[in-house]
Amino acid sequence: MAEENTQPSYPTREEVDFVIVGSGAAGGVMAKELSVAGFSVVVLEQGPHLQAADFKHDEWGYDVNKDLTWGARQGYPQTFRKSVDHETETRESVLDYAHNVGGSSVHFSGNFWRFRPIDFMEASVRGPISGTNFADWPITYDELEPYYTKVDWEVGVSGLAGPWDPPRSREYPCPPMPVKSSDVLLERAAKQMGLTPYPAPVAILSQPHNGRPGCIHCGFCNGYGCEVNAKSSSMASMIPLALDSGNCELRIGCTVSRVNTDENGRANEVVYWEEDGTEQAQLAKAVVLCANGAETPRLLLASESEQYPNGLANSSGVVGTNLMFNGYSTAVGLFDDPVNAHKSVPATRVLHDFYELDPSLGFYGGGGIDARHFSAGRPMNMALAGGLLGDGPTWGSEYKKNLRKEFTHTAAFDGHTTSLPLATNTVTLDPNVQDKWGRAAMRTTYSDHPDDISTMKFFYDKTIELLDVAGATKSAGFYAEEGQEGNVHLLGTCRMGNDPTNSVVDRFNRSHDVENLFMVDGSSLVTSGRGQPTMTIMALAFRAADNIIQFARRGEI
Amino acid sequence: MINTQLSRRAFLRSASGAAKSSIIVLSLPAILVSCERSKQANLGSEEFSVLSEEEVLEFQAIAARIIPTDETPGATEAGVIYFIDNVLADDREVEHETLRLGLRELQVAAALSFNASYFHELELEQQDQLLTEIDGTPFFGTIRFLTIAGMFSLPEYGGNRDNIGYELIGFEDRHAWQPPFGSYDADYAERGE
Repeated sequence: MAEENTQPSYPTREEVDFVIVGSGAAGGVMAKELSVAGFSVVVLEQGPHLQAADFKHDEWGYDVNKDLTWGARQGYPQTFRKSVDHETETRESVLDYAHNVGGSSVHFSGNFWRFRPIDFMEASVRGPISGTNFADWPITYDELEPYYTKVDWEVGVSGLAGPWDPPRSREYPCPPMPVKSSDVLLERAAKQMGLTPYPAPVAILSQPHNGRPGCIHCGFCNGYGCEVNAKSSSMASMIPLALDSGNCELRIGCTVSRVNTDENGRANEVVYWEEDGTEQAQLAKAVVLCANGAETPRLLLASESEQYPNGLANSSGVVGTNLMFNGYSTAVGLFDDPVNAHKSVPATRVLHDFYELDPSLGFYGGGGIDARHFSAGRPMNMALAGGLLGDGPTWGSEYKKNLRKEFTHTAAFDGHTTSLPLATNTVTLDPNVQDKWGRAAMRTTYSDHPDDISTMKFFYDKTIELLDVAGATKSAGFYAEEGQEGNVHLLGTCRMGNDPTNSVVDRFNRSHDVENLFMVDGSSLVTSGRGQPTMTIMALAFRAADNIIQFARRGEI
Repeated sequence: MINTQLSRRAFLRSASGAAKSSIIVLSLPAILVSCERSKQANLGSEEFSVLSEEEVLEFQAIAARIIPTDETPGATEAGVIYFIDNVLADDREVEHETLRLGLRELQVAAALSFNASYFHELELEQQDQLLTEIDGTPFFGTIRFLTIAGMFSLPEYGGNRDNIGYELIGFEDRHAWQPPFGSYDADYAERGE
């Protein structure tokens, strides 16, 4: 089913230039770039086209009913096991993402950290890490920098350039967001400890830009859609331009089942179900998969054929492996005066003094620290967690009395850290469990590397120390000591590389095996970065689009 | 500074995991439909869709111990029982039956410990004692989850009457704010940091 207004209506049995699977962070960018360049584009999106007017401060709807992120409740169970030697369990969800036009860029926190030069060449600098697929990227920071700048200006990022930044060719289009109390507490404590807090770069407009308004500080960014289009999702920033081009047809409620190939092994057709179950197949000259780091490998594996018995584009055997989340820690502190961290955007200051931990600590890792509201500004979630601080009565008068303090007088200092790529951390097709369409459910096999856990602990300890210096009277916190069992950052599963025996796409996000098939989304990442990967995903999409357009015009696809 | 590092289990139980200790599973359109249905059925009078009179009294009493009425309004004033009724009204007969069984067990305990037929007849200290004994059970976990959800969800779901819940927790559902947001950034601005 296609949107109304000025969209073309391409017949399914006639080739379009490009079919793009997924309209998220990468898919939205790709759709805009290719359609504005004059190519005929069909975007297939499984979710609805929710827009600013559709979003509400509805915790019950979004957090309990999973209206955006979907799960077993909506017919999409997933399974999980820590390793092939562990039992597999069916879960409500494991790999979480928003199912709607714009994908997870609709519900993200908006924190946009560029990778730094070291991220692209860390294996060379630090040396290999045994038991992992720790590797360099096939590109450098300098090659991606112009595209990070494109993201800044075309998608819309607010920040302040300074010595804390990786090299940048242009300033930010919008100034940083006004500082919050939670960040004042972080900044003062950090400065006392000799650290360098700086304004957090965010994909949220601090003032009008590109025809979209500035943020109104409502506090419902993370996990929610922006009600005024100030948050720079691909839905708000890219899709409208794609639709205005007159070349892009956005088909929503379309669930892709497989990508087919012709007798020459080229991708030629994308098969999908419409909402009512009708099966369609769109012919295409080229296919771009932007379905995210969980769904893209799943689709490739499900597209196996006689020509591609291990799954499409998987001669390396690497599709679905090297699954990386980012690590995470949180420490909540109680303060004497109102913090009100529930107002405005999640984070307005960040520290990257621990971007690379000293190897003499004995483990690999690094990350960033920012300050947030413990329950992301949500009253119901806070109340459900009530009793977190102090002796923790979880019901009754004492509990009730503590609620107001816990909601308004706390700040959470969060650590966002690295994940190592392991061949044993994978997304595969579950042999037993299916979703509502009869597709094999996604099975996640995942255990954090010990270094990842050591890194999370380092950041947890550091944030507790920062809270103490900041003057918190009580604190409580958490990091995944026993390892994570799911995430919203879905990375690494179709990694870029120069060597077709251990990577899935080349330096231009083109499949090594199938010359007219491209994959660009979180699956492309070679290393996890220090958290907040979406900016890098969008930059990769701009770069891939730039090159795909050139290949197409030269007849090289 | 007193610091407590939480085990994963404790953390998840208290945060989003609280939803997991509940037997209630919902879908948004359905709950709104049942809200509409109950609004139409009520026509201004406060009737319940699926809760019996006994259940209303009993569940309301439990909710009133979870979020009591003291110096500030509690679950009773917020109308949490209407939220609970809406939730169970939406084809939740199986879950409703599970809660009925849990309630019977609680009433048995009330009879054995205090010779009372109904939970709501007990003295408040006696109620708290019995609830403490079942703290951690799926029955109590579900009622606690529903009480809190009913207190702090959007009023259109039936609870949080007149934003009583939001006022309690210090949350204003205003859609726009301007700095200063809290004390520390006000101070920061004043000092020109």
